[in-house]
Amino acid sequence: MPVNKHPTIESRAQNFARALQQVFGRGFGPGFWLAVFWLVIVAFCAMFADWLPLRDPLDPVIANRLDGPLSGSLLGADGLGRDILSRLVHGARVSVVIGLTAVSIGMIVGGALGIIAGYFRGHFERALMAVLDVILAFPWLVLLLALVAFIGQSLFAISTAIGFLWIPAYARVARANTLSVVQREYVLAARAMGATTTRILVREVLPNVILPLLAYGLVAMGLVIIVESALAFLGLSVEAPQPTWGGMISEGKRHLATAVHVALIPSITIFLTVLSLNFVGDRLRSRFDVKESNL
Amino acid sequence: MSDQPGQTTPLQLRDRDDIVLRIEHLSVNFRVGKQTVQAVSDLSLDVARGETLGLVGESGCGKSTVGRAIMQLPPPTAGKVLFKGQDLCLLSGEALRQTRTALQMIFQDPISSLNPRRKVRDIVAEGLQIWGRPSQQSRVREVMEAVGLDPDAVADRRPHQFSGGQCQRICIARSLALDPEVLICDEPVSALDVSVQAQILNLLEDMKQRYQLTMVFVAHNLAVVRNVSDRVAVMYLGKLCEIGGTGSVYARPAHPYTRALLASIPDMNPLSRHQQDGLPLLHGDLPSPANPPSGCRFRTRCPNAQALCAEKEPLMQAVRQTEQNEPQSKTTGVVSDHFVACHFPL
Amino acid sequence: MTPREFKEQPLLLDVRNLTIRLNSAAGLVHAVEDVSFVLREGQTLGIVGESGSGKSVMARSLMNLLSRRSVAQRQGSVVLSGREISALSEREMQKLRGAQVAMIFQDPMTALNPVLTICVQVSEPLQQHLGLSKQAARQRTIELLDAVGIPDAANRVDQYPHQLSGGMRQRVVIAIALACDPALLIADEPTTALDVTVQKQILDLLSRQQTQRRMGMLLITHDLGVVASRADIIAVMYAGRLVELAPATTLFGAMRHPYTEALFNSIPRISDPGHTRLQAIPGRPPQLHHPSPGCAFAPRCQYAQQRCHRETPPVVMAESSIVSAKPTEHLHACFFPVAKSASGGVN
Ligand SMILES: Nc1ncnc2c1ncn2[C@@H]1O[C@H](COP(=O)(O)OP(=O)(O)OP(=O)(O)O)[C@@H](O)[C@H]1O
Ligand SMILES: Nc1ncnc2c1ncn2[C@@H]1O[C@H](COP(=O)(O)OP(=O)(O)OP(=O)(O)O)[C@@H](O)[C@H]1O
Ligand code: SF4
Ligand code: SF4
Ligand SMILES: [Mg+2]
Ligand SMILES: [Mg+2]
Repeated sequence: MPVNKHPTIESRAQNFARALQQVFGRGFGPGFWLAVFWLVIVAFCAMFADWLPLRDPLDPVIANRLDGPLSGSLLGADGLGRDILSRLVHGARVSVVIGLTAVSIGMIVGGALGIIAGYFRGHFERALMAVLDVILAFPWLVLLLALVAFIGQSLFAISTAIGFLWIPAYARVARANTLSVVQREYVLAARAMGATTTRILVREVLPNVILPLLAYGLVAMGLVIIVESALAFLGLSVEAPQPTWGGMISEGKRHLATAVHVALIPSITIFLTVLSLNFVGDRLRSRFDVKESNL
Repeated sequence: MSDQPGQTTPLQLRDRDDIVLRIEHLSVNFRVGKQTVQAVSDLSLDVARGETLGLVGESGCGKSTVGRAIMQLPPPTAGKVLFKGQDLCLLSGEALRQTRTALQMIFQDPISSLNPRRKVRDIVAEGLQIWGRPSQQSRVREVMEAVGLDPDAVADRRPHQFSGGQCQRICIARSLALDPEVLICDEPVSALDVSVQAQILNLLEDMKQRYQLTMVFVAHNLAVVRNVSDRVAVMYLGKLCEIGGTGSVYARPAHPYTRALLASIPDMNPLSRHQQDGLPLLHGDLPSPANPPSGCRFRTRCPNAQALCAEKEPLMQAVRQTEQNEPQSKTTGVVSDHFVACHFPL
Repeated sequence: MTPREFKEQPLLLDVRNLTIRLNSAAGLVHAVEDVSFVLREGQTLGIVGESGSGKSVMARSLMNLLSRRSVAQRQGSVVLSGREISALSEREMQKLRGAQVAMIFQDPMTALNPVLTICVQVSEPLQQHLGLSKQAARQRTIELLDAVGIPDAANRVDQYPHQLSGGMRQRVVIAIALACDPALLIADEPTTALDVTVQKQILDLLSRQQTQRRMGMLLITHDLGVVASRADIIAVMYAGRLVELAPATTLFGAMRHPYTEALFNSIPRISDPGHTRLQAIPGRPPQLHHPSPGCAFAPRCQYAQQRCHRETPPVVMAESSIVSAKPTEHLHACFFPVAKSASGGVN
C-alpha cells in the first residue's frame, strides 16, 4: 500500500486554514481585529524605526518648540523642539523590547518553575509557593527600584528587573494549568507507554500550558509597558536622550499648562497599546478556555 | 486493619501455569487532609492468559484504583503485583518503564485521555517513538485499520474533531501499538452513546482475539461485564466480596451484596413490574471509606448481618457447588472456582 | 396482568406538533421536531433516547424553562390540564411550576443550592405555593423527607446538601418536586448519575409516589431497561423526532421502528451467555445542526431504501396486526416498519 508520506500542497493549505480557524475561529468581532491592527503598527514601528522617513528623534529644532499637531509636522514637537511622531516611533522600540524581554524572562523562568512545581508537587512546590508569596507580598515598586539601583539603567537591566517581577504570576498560571493537565488521562497513558518524565513534560504538558501562558503574556505585556512608564516617570528608566513613551510623558508634564499634546499624545499611545494588548489577550484566553471546556 | 496474616496465600488464587497477572494482598491508601482513605484493602486476585476478568462494584469502591495500582500509577501502599512472576512493585526506574509497556490502559473518558494538541498519528505512534521501534508507519496503519479507523482520513486530525466512540477507537489503537499482553479497561464504554457501546465492546472482543490479549475490565454495568468476562470479581468498599466464573457468580451469587447488585439491574421485561418490592436487598448508604465498618464492611447495609459480622472480618471461602455434587467435591477435592468473603453465604 | 387501562382518565398533558429550534455557536439546532403525544392522569410515559436526541430540551420546554434568547423557533402547542402554556407569561408560569408541574434533574449534585439547608429548600415551595407558615412548612418538610425514605428526617432537615450522599440528595430533589402535589412530574434522567443499587431504590420510590398521588409522570432516560417495567407508554426519540410510541407491553412485544429494534438488540443481556456477539448499530447519532432530508436514521438503518433518503417518514398508526381485543395505540415513523417478529421477544 502506498504510504502517503508527503501531504500535497493543497492538503497542507487546508490543514493550515483549519488550524488558523481553530485558533482564530469565527466571531472575534471587529474590535479584536482593530486591536490586532494597532499592535501590528506598533510592532512595525519598533522594527523599522530607523528606516522610516522620519526626522531624527534626538534633533532639537528650537524653532519648532511646542508646536501643536498638524503644524509643520504631524504630531507637533516637544519642549526641546524634537519631533513627537519620530520620538513615538523610536520610543515604541523601547517599549516593545522591554515588553518582550521582560515577558519572556517571566514566562520562561516562571513557566518552568510553575510546570515543575505542578508536576512534581511535594516539597519543591511548597517551598516555591512560599517564596513566590513573599515576592508578591513585597511592594513591587520598592523592589523594582532596588533592583534597578543594583543592576543599572540599561535597557537590558530594566527588562530583567521587570521580568523578575513577573516570575511569580507566571509560575502561578503555569502551576495551575499543569495541575489540571496532569490529572488528564493522556498523561497516565503516556506514562503507561513508558514515556520519560522529560518527554511527558515537553510533549504532553507543555503544549497544553503554553497557550494559556502566551495569552496571559499579552495581558502582562500591557502591564509591563505601564510599569516601564512609571519608572520613566520617576526618571529611572533608560538613560535620558533615548526616547521612551514614559519618558515623553514625564517631560511633557512641564508643559501641561501650555501644550497639553506633548504629554497627551504618548499617553494616548500607551493607552491604546495597553488596551489592545489586554483585549487581544483576553479574547485569546477565553477562546482557549472555551476549547478546554468543550473537550 | 485486617486480621488476615499477610503471608498465607489467599484461597482464590489459582495454582496454574498460565497466570499472567497475580495480585496479592494489594492495599492502596490515599491521604486526604488528615484522614487516610483505604481505597483498596488486602485484595488478591489473578488473571490467566487470554482471560477477561470483570471488576464490578459501586462508584468509589476502588475499581479504578486497582487498575491503576497494577500499572504502578501510583504504586500500591502494600502488596504485590506479579506480572508473569515478576513483582512490578519491586521494579523502579528504567526496569519498570520497560516492563510496564506489556500492560496498557484504556480509560473511561475517551476525550480527556487524548492530548487535544496532538495529531491522531502522533498519539498512536507515541509508544513506538518512545521506544524507537522500527517500521512505525506501518504499525500505526495496522492498528488504526484494526480498530476500524481509516488512517488516511484521520491521521492528520486532532482528537476534538471526533465523536466519543471514535476517540475510544483511537485510545484502543494507541494502547495496541506497543503490542501489550495485558489490557486494563477502566469503564471503556460508560461515557459512550448507548448505540455506540456495542461497537466498542465488539471491537474489544475482536482485538482480544486478534492480539491474544489478557484483559481486566472495570465497569459498573453488570450486563456489560457479563458479556465480556470469563471471571468476575465483585468489590465493596475496597474489599473483594466475591470472585468466580462469570456464569457461576451470576447464576448463584453467594454474597448478599452481589445478589443486591444483580437484583438492581433494570429488567427488560415490561411485565416484571408486579414482582418488585420484595424484601429490601440493601438499605442505607455507602459508608465513608475513610472510616469503614468493623468486621465485614458490608454489614451496615446487609439484610443478613448478625453479631459475628461486626466482630470478625469474613475470610474468603469456596462456594459450595450445587447440592448434588457437593459431597463429591468434598471427597475428591475438586477445587471450586467460586469464592466468597461472607460468614453466611447465600 | 393486562396493562392498566387509562382510556377513561382525563387528559393531563397534550403536546401537539412541538418543534423547537435553538441558537448555538454552530448554527440552528433542530432539537425537537414535530413531537406529539398525550399523557393521561396517573400515567407514566417513558421517553427513551440517546444523548443529544432532544429529550431535555423537550422536557424543559414543557415547563417553559428554555431561556428566551436560546430559542430561535418554537411551534406547536402544549396543553397542561386544559391550559395552553406556551402563551402564558413568566409570572403565570411560575405559579404553575411546582404546583402543577414539577421537574427532577439529572444531576443531584448541582440541583440543590449548596449554601442553604435542606429545610429551607424543601419548604420554600410549600410557603410560596401553599401559603404554609414557617412552622407548618417545616413539619411538612419532615413528613416529605420521611416519605421519600430519608432516615432520621427530623435531624437531616437542618443539614446541608454536601453532608448527604448522591442518592440522598436525589431523594431531597424528589421531595422538593413532590412538595406541592404536582399533577405532572417530569423526571429528566433521575438516576443516570447514580449507582445501580441506588437507581433501583429511586425508581421504586418514584413509582410508589406516583401511584399514591395519582400523578402523571414523564420518565426520561437513555436506558430502555429503566422504562421497560415502569412506564405505561414508551416513546422513543431519535434526532429530535419521536420515532415510535406504544404501550410498554406492545412495544416490547412487537417493535416496529428499526431504530427501536436496533437499540434493543445492541444492549448486552444478563441472560445471554458470556461473549455473545452484540448486534452493534453502525455509525453514530446524527448532528442536529444540519438535518439531512429524509429519515434521520437512514444512514444507519439496515432496512433503508431509496425513499428513506429523500422523504421524512410521517408518524403513522401501526396497522393492528397484534391479535388483541382492543386496538392499542401504536405509532411509528417509518416507511418500512419491521415486521412483527421474535426480535422483540422479552427476555
Ligand atoms: N488520588 C486520590 N486521592 C485521594 N483519594 C482518592 C484518589 N483516587 C481515588 N480516591 C478515593 O479512593 C476511593 C476509590 O476510588 P476509585 O476511583 O478507585 O473508585 P471507583 O470504584 O473507580 O469508582 P467510579 O466507579 O466512580 O470510578 C474513593 O473513595 C476515592 O475518593
Ligand atoms: N441551550 C441550548 N442552546 C443550544 N443548543 C442546545 C441547548 N441545549 C441543548 N442544545 C442542543 O440540543 C440538542 C438536544 O439536547 P438535549 O439536551 O435535549 O439532549 P438529551 O436528549 O437530553 O441528551 P442527554 O441524554 O445528553 O441529556 C443537542 O444537540 C444540544 O447540543
Ligand atoms: S459477613 Fe455478614 S454482614 Fe457481611 S455480607 Fe456476610 S452476612 Fe452480610
Ligand atoms: S424510514 Fe427507512 S431509514 Fe428510516 S427507519 Fe424506516 S426503513 Fe429505516
Ligand atoms: Mg473509576
Ligand atoms: Mg438530557
